[in-house]
Amino acid sequence: MVTEAPATREVADYKEISASGRRYRLQQSAIDIAILFVGLQILSVIFALVDPSRFAYLNSANITVALQNIPLLGIPALGVGILMIAGEFDLSVGANYIFSSIVVGQLSANGMNQWLAVLVGLIAGTVIGLLNGVITLKLKIPSFITTLGTLGIWNAATLFYHGASSQTYTPTGILNSLLNGNFGPVPAPAIWMLVLAVGCYALLQRHRIGNHVFASGGGPAAANATGVNVVRTKMLAFGITGFMAAVGGILAAASVGNIAPASADSLALNAIAACVVGGLLLTGGKGTVLGIVIGAFLLYWIQDVLLLLGAPGFYLSAFVGALIIAASVFYRVISTRRV
Amino acid sequence: MTSIEINEVTNVSSKAEMTAGASGFANTVGDAATPLLELKEICKRYGQIDVLTNVSFTVNKAEVIGLLGDNGAGKSTLVKTISGVVQPDQGELVWDGKPVQFNSREVSANYGVETIFQDSALVDSMSIARNIFMGREIRNRFGFMDLRQMREIAAEVLKTIVAIEGIDSPDKLVGSLSGGQKQAVAIARAVHFKRSLLVLDEPTSALAVRATEALFDYLRHLRDQGLSSILVTHDLYDAYRICDRFVVMSRGRTILKAAKSETSIEELTEKVSRG
Repeated sequence: MVTEAPATREVADYKEISASGRRYRLQQSAIDIAILFVGLQILSVIFALVDPSRFAYLNSANITVALQNIPLLGIPALGVGILMIAGEFDLSVGANYIFSSIVVGQLSANGMNQWLAVLVGLIAGTVIGLLNGVITLKLKIPSFITTLGTLGIWNAATLFYHGASSQTYTPTGILNSLLNGNFGPVPAPAIWMLVLAVGCYALLQRHRIGNHVFASGGGPAAANATGVNVVRTKMLAFGITGFMAAVGGILAAASVGNIAPASADSLALNAIAACVVGGLLLTGGKGTVLGIVIGAFLLYWIQDVLLLLGAPGFYLSAFVGALIIAASVFYRVISTRRV
Repeated sequence: MTSIEINEVTNVSSKAEMTAGASGFANTVGDAATPLLELKEICKRYGQIDVLTNVSFTVNKAEVIGLLGDNGAGKSTLVKTISGVVQPDQGELVWDGKPVQFNSREVSANYGVETIFQDSALVDSMSIARNIFMGREIRNRFGFMDLRQMREIAAEVLKTIVAIEGIDSPDKLVGSLSGGQKQAVAIARAVHFKRSLLVLDEPTSALAVRATEALFDYLRHLRDQGLSSILVTHDLYDAYRICDRFVVMSRGRTILKAAKSETSIEELTEKVSRG
């Protein structure tokens, strides 16, 4: 509750102001979901220590597979999350993920320099993201509709460029180590996710561009009125989303060794789910990079735990669905308690 | 509010102006005798409707103008013209003796016009400090924000100008504030980025009595420093207390232009209500 402050304030009140400031900043961080996440990890570790044969959570293979797979959702989710905070959606990230990686695979197979092929793939992904932005912002239609449409178009582009068969991708040498190697015990994709998450944090939460992203999503009219270039900011977010989708696709292609055109159909919705679990609003203007990362971890975690416990695979989607709904309720309860 | 507190704000503000690279104060604009802003025969039509017809008046340096009129008189359109949101069909704006075209809000802001709109232009999901500096973040040469300094300045501005509104921290989300508190934040922002001309569109409509008094004290203080303000309001008593000159509008035309000494609150009331 807001309390009526006295008309004249003394300097001593500064301490009070900075104390309440810390409290508000903590509330606006991803602290709730982080505490929940750490709690779940502690529980999982305890169970794994008590009964390692039935619940092989701490098995090194389990951890390695987790660190290999979480970034394949988490990296595209970082882009999708920034775009959601800017108030827009990209339902075509899965199609982009496949198209960009298949471009890299096919160009490499056709003898192009493998580094150049990766560069072309990253540019293709970014351009696709920007095209989504141009269509949405120039034609002034909802990005949900735009990207529902372009989802089909980019899928068709993959079939046109490559066909329906899968494409093998086997980078060599240093590129292979960078995409598919291990840094000590940590798989390369996890390192990339860490690097990109730190970059996104710096951009979104410390840079003025990030302030404009929040403003553009939270109140586009107000942002415009104070001199924020909303269209340019949203274009940047669309571009970042496309770039992240391409990075995720290329890492997936390298770790699996081939790209199947229909393998990422649910990526966009999973990425949005990770963001929602991480505390982002569908209406934009709110969220943290840490929240997105934890959201991606949690979506993987629930499936991992169920698989380790021997739950039949076809039940997994029900638990993932329940997690998304539970997270939403969790945030609702928290936000009504804090006024 | 004591003068000591006001001086504190001024110091902090000027420090921030320098850091943020913002352009100068009113007393750096031209010579004192040239009017700050002249509106000459401004006309604006929306479809078949004449919203503004040959509106002319001047804003001198260091004065507070009351722009009065009933609903539909064209006040808001005129405010939007001055702030660059709406372009006139005919007529001319002259800034400090030179004809200007305010094609966008950015252009008018560069000349030194700061506007507080009725809907106050705040983002609910962002903190007060981030709202105050939205679009004008204090940043280093790589574009990274100095969040600490933004918070400190916001706290200082809030403490001295709008402390009575009961905002305890610049980190609070604007969405958790009451209507009056939001308006106070918008006013704090305008006051902090004070330039040459403040345009306040119904700033006191959601403010408590004490907050209104604090705002008026501030406007007087800014006037003493050489800044001009245009106060758009329904409240004639408020206007009469603070303004030096009045422009009364009716159906898109100016029907009275008078200095405070030449008119009375009765005449203003009569003009506004009869049109």
